[in-house]
Amino acid sequence: MLKRLTPRLIIIILAIAIAGILLYPTIQHEMLSPEERQELREQGKLAELESKIIRRGLDLQGGIHLVLEVDVPTLVNNIARNKSQLFEEVFQQAQSRLNEETTFLNEFLEVANQKELRLVRYFPDRGIQNEEIISSLQEEATDAVRRALEIIRNRVDQFGVSEPTIQKVGNRRIIVELAGIQDPARARELIQTTALLEFKLLKTPEVTNATIQKIDRVLRRRQGDVAEALGAQDTAETDTTIEEGGVAEDEAVSVDELFGGMEDETATDTSEDSTVVVDRQVFEEKPFTALLRNVQGQIGVPQKNRNAVNRILKMEAVQEVIPPDAEFLWSAGPEVLPTQAGGADEFHLLYLVNEEAGLTGGVVTDAQATLGGSGGQAAGQPVVYLDMNAQGSKTWSRLTGANIGRRVAIVLDDKVHMAPNIRSKISQGSTMIEGMANLEEAKDIAIVLRAGALPAPVDIIEERTVGPSLGSDSIQKGTTATLIGLLLVLVFMALYYKLSGFIADFALVLNLIFILAILAALGATLTLPGIAGLILTVGLSVDANVLIFDRIREELRKGKTVRAAIDSGYGNALRTIIDANVTTILAALVLMQFGTGPIKGFAVVLFWGIVSSMFTAIFVTRTIYQMFTENKTVKKLSI
Amino acid sequence: MELFAEANYKILEKRKFTAILSVVIISIGLLSILFHNGLRLGIDFEGGTLMQIQFEESVEISDVRSALEQVGLENASIQQFGAPNEIIIRVLRLEEQEGIKASEEIQATLSENIPGNPFNVRRMEQVGPKIGSELRGAAVLAILSALLGIVLYISIRFEFKFAIAAIVALVHDILITLGVFSLLNLEITLAIIAAFLTIVGYSLNDTIVVFDRVRENLKSLRRATYFNIVNLSINQSLSRTVVTSVTTFLVVLVLYLGGGEVIKNFAFALIIGVVVGTYSSVYVASPVIVEWAKRSESQGKLSKKR
Repeated sequence: MLKRLTPRLIIIILAIAIAGILLYPTIQHEMLSPEERQELREQGKLAELESKIIRRGLDLQGGIHLVLEVDVPTLVNNIARNKSQLFEEVFQQAQSRLNEETTFLNEFLEVANQKELRLVRYFPDRGIQNEEIISSLQEEATDAVRRALEIIRNRVDQFGVSEPTIQKVGNRRIIVELAGIQDPARARELIQTTALLEFKLLKTPEVTNATIQKIDRVLRRRQGDVAEALGAQDTAETDTTIEEGGVAEDEAVSVDELFGGMEDETATDTSEDSTVVVDRQVFEEKPFTALLRNVQGQIGVPQKNRNAVNRILKMEAVQEVIPPDAEFLWSAGPEVLPTQAGGADEFHLLYLVNEEAGLTGGVVTDAQATLGGSGGQAAGQPVVYLDMNAQGSKTWSRLTGANIGRRVAIVLDDKVHMAPNIRSKISQGSTMIEGMANLEEAKDIAIVLRAGALPAPVDIIEERTVGPSLGSDSIQKGTTATLIGLLLVLVFMALYYKLSGFIADFALVLNLIFILAILAALGATLTLPGIAGLILTVGLSVDANVLIFDRIREELRKGKTVRAAIDSGYGNALRTIIDANVTTILAALVLMQFGTGPIKGFAVVLFWGIVSSMFTAIFVTRTIYQMFTENKTVKKLSI
Repeated sequence: MELFAEANYKILEKRKFTAILSVVIISIGLLSILFHNGLRLGIDFEGGTLMQIQFEESVEISDVRSALEQVGLENASIQQFGAPNEIIIRVLRLEEQEGIKASEEIQATLSENIPGNPFNVRRMEQVGPKIGSELRGAAVLAILSALLGIVLYISIRFEFKFAIAAIVALVHDILITLGVFSLLNLEITLAIIAAFLTIVGYSLNDTIVVFDRVRENLKSLRRATYFNIVNLSINQSLSRTVVTSVTTFLVVLVLYLGGGEVIKNFAFALIIGVVVGTYSSVYVASPVIVEWAKRSESQGKLSKKR
């Protein structure tokens, strides 16, 4: 008679065996000591093992979750050529009309059509009709997302995070998940950096000086605007403490000389943030110059004056006197530089450079971060060495050869990292960048240079960070709660249904093992809501057995034999179990569809928990009953 | 051990009382939502910044508040979270890029203004307003599509009136849970929406077990009245309803008590859901069917009398 039972037992044993095989890597991984883990990592075997285990979600191990969106307006603006006033107007208006329901390109098209702007003027080779051009730009944007995805993947891979998740969602978004990151700000920087590397020639000191003087003149004509630009009602003139006016009387023509004369004028810091440090007499004559300092022959801007200078440079009238082929750029970070008076102060450097880059970073083939060798100027300083491809080397060689004696700014994302003098023609294409705060920053810059520039800037529109300490708290509490919940249910079932309760308990434990095995097979990530799903499944999965057992009890009360009661108990309950579970599965499927990250994790566990509980609670328990009742007549059932 | 073995409670007789009870509870909840100017949506749906910060030593909320005022974040909500040295700061509705700035400003101003008490950021969430409104739309869509799927399934497997009764019970459960959240001024986050959908699934699960029994008894007890059949069905499945609710309640309670602060509200929603869902499957869904049957009976469609 055991014949009927054999196929059932084989299926169960097979299922347990498969679950064991699926869970083995996870158990193996859990047992590893940190040293062994490191060893495996070095052998390159860790990634393989990690691909087979149940991964812990960010909320359980700490990490950062970013949703990035490609900045389409900037992309469009970058592509456009020969921009006119009208174009700028349309662009601005499209951007201001942007809201939650619209996309930039749609608004752009609409405004352009309204104002009868022919886009072909600005976007040649993309069709004639505005509609064609917009759809071509749409493709470009989609493509930009795809390229951004690749580039970010490259950067993250080199950053050295285990098991990063980088995926595209929808048309414009990219999700990046980095587990176990200690420094979210650094990761964010690394991902978001556009990494547009440009080499731009500095304007000659003569042009620079002339421009600064022109700005002075513009400002003097418009004192009121300056006051506004400086941000406070009672501008520098009242707020600034002035010491020893003497030297400033020197009205030297050269900017260098003028700055030199101002050095011992170091105005004292006042506590008000809106104050700037200027020399009053110079300010009246040369309001812009007064904000600047000569720092070792370069234009330095004291920390306090930076915003004021920025605001002045953005003024329309000021923009007009800056040569059309030039732009002002800031240095990458503040530098502590000795002043001529002998002290030291924090300065931002300001450069007037050619707007058009002599060479861009697309030609970079390799970038390495290291500490500058002894003897050189950058001895002991973090530097990045660049190698260029043949074409880049050629351009670089021509550029340097033709401009010996001039300075070239090495610009990353519109920030000048260094601006060395070209001493000789550089023909082999290798170049060094300095000006990084520390070796870590140099390494990150090298990574982004190697991976290439993003086709358009990306905005972070969602960020979730979980510190590692919270993660370990969560996993410990979650696991404890699961075990206690499980234990309570096991005890309750055993008390309430006696021996049959134990059978249900067995099925429940088996169910948990199966769910974990399925999670491992799916390569799923276990999150805190996932653990909640597990606990809920524990509660719900006994439901099938409760339904069956209550039916059996009913049948027994009606006076049926044990075997008949079991048979009709299972028979009657099955329909109910399916109906009841289908609705929960529907809810789980909806959650899987709509949910992001953690909610999806919850839904996945709930879904598979129900599916697996059908097998364990119905098939496995039935088989166990059959083993008991197959060959003998059981008089009494412990239920 | 056996509970409700031969239960024979007069459940349907109490349907007037329970209907009034339900209406009162739901009204209190709705009034509270009105009073609070709508539900308190978390940053998941509104956009904004949330930071959970653990200080080395316990910290005064007022100190944190005055520190945040320095950077113009006087509207931030600051809450103690679990331990006295742990706080949560929420800043709602920020422009996309300002969100990032907010978290940095918060950190900078805290380390400047609360010296000698170093902290670490345990959790930081920043959601742009655009994403927030998208998530809001997605959540509504999810709940609606879940409801639609359920109506279809029950209509096919049972009858349309069963589907409507189940939906009534469901809406009842969700309204009560929302009301409790509003009364306690708890935040609705994405995780809470997940809890709601689980309540939907759970409450239905319970309801359908009863319906299933009704359907079965309608076939086997041809002589009995509709009223008696439904009452009998509820009683017959009462044991199962209670046992399953007890086991689920046990685990959800453990989750609430020991699962950690992060999951507390989620577990709380489930606790309400289990309790209310059990109640509604007994006292809401089935009475709706009986009432419906009675109405159509008076139009001569049903011959079974009370």
